Amino acid sequence: MSVIQELSRGKQAGAVRKKGDGRWALLFLAPWFVGLALITAGPMGASLYLSFTDYDLLSAPEWVGLENYTRMFDDPRFLQSLGVTFTYVFVSVPLQLAAALGLALLLDKGMRGLALYRSVYYLPSLLGGSVAIAILWRQIFGADGLVNQVLALFGIQGQGWVSHPDYALGTLMALNVWTFGAPMVIFLAGLRQIPQMYYEAAAIDGASRWRQFRSITVPLLTPIIFFNLVLQLIEAFQSFTRAFVVSGGNGGPSDSTLLYTLYLYLKGFGSLDMGYASAMAWFLLLIIGGMTVVNFLASKYWVFYDD
Amino acid sequence: MTDASTTAQTTTPTAVRPPSDTASGTRRAGPGDRRPTAVRPHGRRVRARVGSVLKHAGLIAFGFVMLYPLLWMLASSFKPNALIFREPGLIPTDIDLSNYTDGWNALLHPFSHYLINSALVVLGSLLGNLLSCSLAAYAFARLEFRGKRLWFAVMLMSIMLPIHVVIVPQYVLFSQLEWINTFLPLIVPKLLATDAFFIFLMVQFFRGIPRELDEAATLDGCNHLRIYLQIMLPLSMPALATTAIFTFIWTWNDFFSQLIFLTRPEMYTVPIALRTFVDSTGESSWGSLFAMSIVSLIPVFIAFLFGQKYLVKGIATTGIK
Amino acid sequence: MSTTGNPRPTRRGKRLAGSAAGIAAVALTLAACGGGDSGIGGGGDDAPAAAEECPCEIRFSWWGSDSRHESTQQIIEAFEAENPDITVVPDFTDWDGYWDKLATSVAAGDTPDVITQEERYISDYSTKNVLADLGTLDIDTSKVDDGVLAGGQIEGTQYGIPTGINAYALVADPELFADAGVDVPDDTTWTWEDYVTTANAVAKGAGDGVWGTQDYGFNEAGLNVMARQRGETLFTADGELGVSEETVADFFQVSLDLVEGGGQPDAARTVEYQAAGPEGGLLGTNKGAMGVWWTNQLGALSDSSGHELELLRLPGESEGERTGMYYKPAMFYSVSADTEYPESSAKFVDFLLNSEEAAKIMLTDRGLPANTDVREAILGDLSPTDQKVADFMADIEDEIVDNPAVPPHGSAELADIMERINTEVLFERITPEEAATQLIDEINAAIAN
Repeated sequence: MSVIQELSRGKQAGAVRKKGDGRWALLFLAPWFVGLALITAGPMGASLYLSFTDYDLLSAPEWVGLENYTRMFDDPRFLQSLGVTFTYVFVSVPLQLAAALGLALLLDKGMRGLALYRSVYYLPSLLGGSVAIAILWRQIFGADGLVNQVLALFGIQGQGWVSHPDYALGTLMALNVWTFGAPMVIFLAGLRQIPQMYYEAAAIDGASRWRQFRSITVPLLTPIIFFNLVLQLIEAFQSFTRAFVVSGGNGGPSDSTLLYTLYLYLKGFGSLDMGYASAMAWFLLLIIGGMTVVNFLASKYWVFYDD
Repeated sequence: MTDASTTAQTTTPTAVRPPSDTASGTRRAGPGDRRPTAVRPHGRRVRARVGSVLKHAGLIAFGFVMLYPLLWMLASSFKPNALIFREPGLIPTDIDLSNYTDGWNALLHPFSHYLINSALVVLGSLLGNLLSCSLAAYAFARLEFRGKRLWFAVMLMSIMLPIHVVIVPQYVLFSQLEWINTFLPLIVPKLLATDAFFIFLMVQFFRGIPRELDEAATLDGCNHLRIYLQIMLPLSMPALATTAIFTFIWTWNDFFSQLIFLTRPEMYTVPIALRTFVDSTGESSWGSLFAMSIVSLIPVFIAFLFGQKYLVKGIATTGIK
Repeated sequence: MSTTGNPRPTRRGKRLAGSAAGIAAVALTLAACGGGDSGIGGGGDDAPAAAEECPCEIRFSWWGSDSRHESTQQIIEAFEAENPDITVVPDFTDWDGYWDKLATSVAAGDTPDVITQEERYISDYSTKNVLADLGTLDIDTSKVDDGVLAGGQIEGTQYGIPTGINAYALVADPELFADAGVDVPDDTTWTWEDYVTTANAVAKGAGDGVWGTQDYGFNEAGLNVMARQRGETLFTADGELGVSEETVADFFQVSLDLVEGGGQPDAARTVEYQAAGPEGGLLGTNKGAMGVWWTNQLGALSDSSGHELELLRLPGESEGERTGMYYKPAMFYSVSADTEYPESSAKFVDFLLNSEEAAKIMLTDRGLPANTDVREAILGDLSPTDQKVADFMADIEDEIVDNPAVPPHGSAELADIMERINTEVLFERITPEEAATQLIDEINAAIAN
């Protein structure tokens, strides 16, 4: 019998012991309940209502039933934005998480200058949605940018990646991977949450570093990997600022970087069609919600909780 | 057997066993475990040295690639406005500090005014998130109550809707409360744990803390409040530090809600101030933008440099078994 | 214990909506959603009922960058010195943020009293009764040319007063022309064909890395000028699309001819330079000898290029039925229809428009002043670049036949449509003819509602 089984016995015991902490829960959740009732629920409910209306922000909303929802599927730009978003999410999120996990493991401990490396790798994430990003990105992926200068050393004539409809989305995904610092920080924190005693014991048992990694680090890090996966998915589906800044606000060139939320924004605030934008938002919630449910269901098979 | 244990076994078929029960003090080799091979001290050390140099070289090279855009921005912040695009090289021909002095004074208030405003919003959000989210997370991680799954789902749902469709109703709400043009719409929601992201984060971390600890505390007569205060919080420094770092940075960079809720220039924060250097319809002060972007990155960088050491003060280093 | 279970959507939905507080908040929120309308009667009949209570506070919103904010603040101070009982609260941000913020505050019934408007949005705001009929307010517009003033009228009602005027013109870099050994063309006679051959010749003469011109197809103003030269117009006075497919196709064909002849860079570079704004475009970086810009951008272009740039008429002015160039109102001053202080707001707009003191601070920042008297008065104070703009605007004044009507409701989408379709053409994903059909369809759809 493994320690893990024993630990999970503890879990069962705990579950049995704690039945009905309702009052305590009310106390601990009080701020959140108040926030939910007063700040979150109202605007969410309002946007749900608005999704069934024709609402231009400037005059009162008019009920139109399901029209906004049915209109979406006849809208080629909507379908384009769905395609762009799925590509973006499913390519850049795994890459970003892999980079974040790899670097977090490398920068975990036992090295000189750790603090500096961590901070340096984290710096790009700090720029956030700065308008400067658009220009910085041109310096790298533009026709005369860094990438093409490097390619030129090998005699390859590059082209303007950032402004070519076939490659612009790729540069946007590179931008997302570039800011792997955020999930990296969470991985770092997660690594430090693994009780040292496990490693000590394993070392006494003579397990190699690799074995320790596979048998202690990975299983005990799964809740954090899971968290990062869920959150990065939710975030990636809602990616807006970078695409907005890099594309100059319109998802160009020729809609190749028209992420879902960017299109939603253009509809809501650009075309003053907030009813349609709200419908798009609730459809997105269905997508993300579905994705998250699948994630949680799947997590039963690979995420290990030490409680 | 429960899901978790079978899962752990399938993903780690040759699990090395840490001491399952420190009280018993027995240690046995796990199934399929091998005896340690003989240690070869000398060869190992040389190889480790070479490996370490290579690792550092790799990390530095990678760091340079990561930082290239930022270095370019730093270089450009020292160039006169007119030369930024005409001479886009990394090394400025001559150092010119006027972007910093101009940028600092270009807006209605000196740039420090916007830095202070941002700092106030950040401070409020920081306290709010740390307190309210950890409370809620404790409930989800450690308490049993009716409808827990449902509320958890509701919590996650609340971060799935893009801000652009809730900001108008929110504005209406806050203007009814006469909160527009104050920092309240930016801070009060954080006190009420509306940043569900962090609740989820802390739930995941709290669940990583061995339950034996709070069970022992319960036996000692501790109630939930004391377990939360004396066990969970001290043992969750990495999670709290992560929350703090993220709240800091997100709030520092948050443009949209600050733009909408703050209407008077004296209330403007750094992200709004930075945008006013650029006018897509007329003339932009790129040099000032870059210079002030660098200036506004410094506090965040310092916050991270100091904050990150708390990331590593986890259960691993606090000496608790 | 586990929180990883699958949520049951039906119950969740019920619970959320069933929460009393939730409903209360929704109700509260929705009650105010139509707030923009409250207090407004049928549209133009909102004259102040009673005399205004002053001292009072009015909010003035505008977009722009740091230099505009600074000068506007000075103007506000000058106004307040003259009108001690009125306080003007500034509300400014960048262009993109401006419209998000304005729409949001209108939705919440929190509209600024004096609003800066632009031709792309003024129809949207005026047809929804957000803007007051300025004809009912006490603002002296006698010093503004009728043709210019008409630019702020929608179906005969004055919803906005032009702040100043710009023209869409060709900017040329004589130094690069000289380097290439090509003469700067005579802009009173040159045709669209001359434009293509000139640009191609400059690119050939100047060598690698320098092109003749920057693509003009991203901006509908160029199309409008070409259409007007042919006796058509982008939008008719009754808000219909007035341009033929043939003209649109010819418009895009010019770009393709330029790419083929080397006069302008390849598609990817073109899109990149377009995104880089005036400072990072071909003229601004000394990589191109020509480009089509609004006259108020000459300053930004000259500063970043470091060269003495010249303004030329667009090609084809003497080629077609009539001239196509026109004065565009740079922006509009508008007043909120439900302001508490229409008189004070009007007084402030009047000051912005007619005060020589204000004009001397503002100079050409909001276009060459629409008020011709103050325009005269500031001529001596202008920078050499602005002087050039003023001279150019005076030169073309007599050639202008008329100024186009305000684009209809929905035209805010036009810029995006142009940019998207032009990119498709440049990358040769669609032919100019297909582009013409698509453009006309999409614009018609945008202005249909």
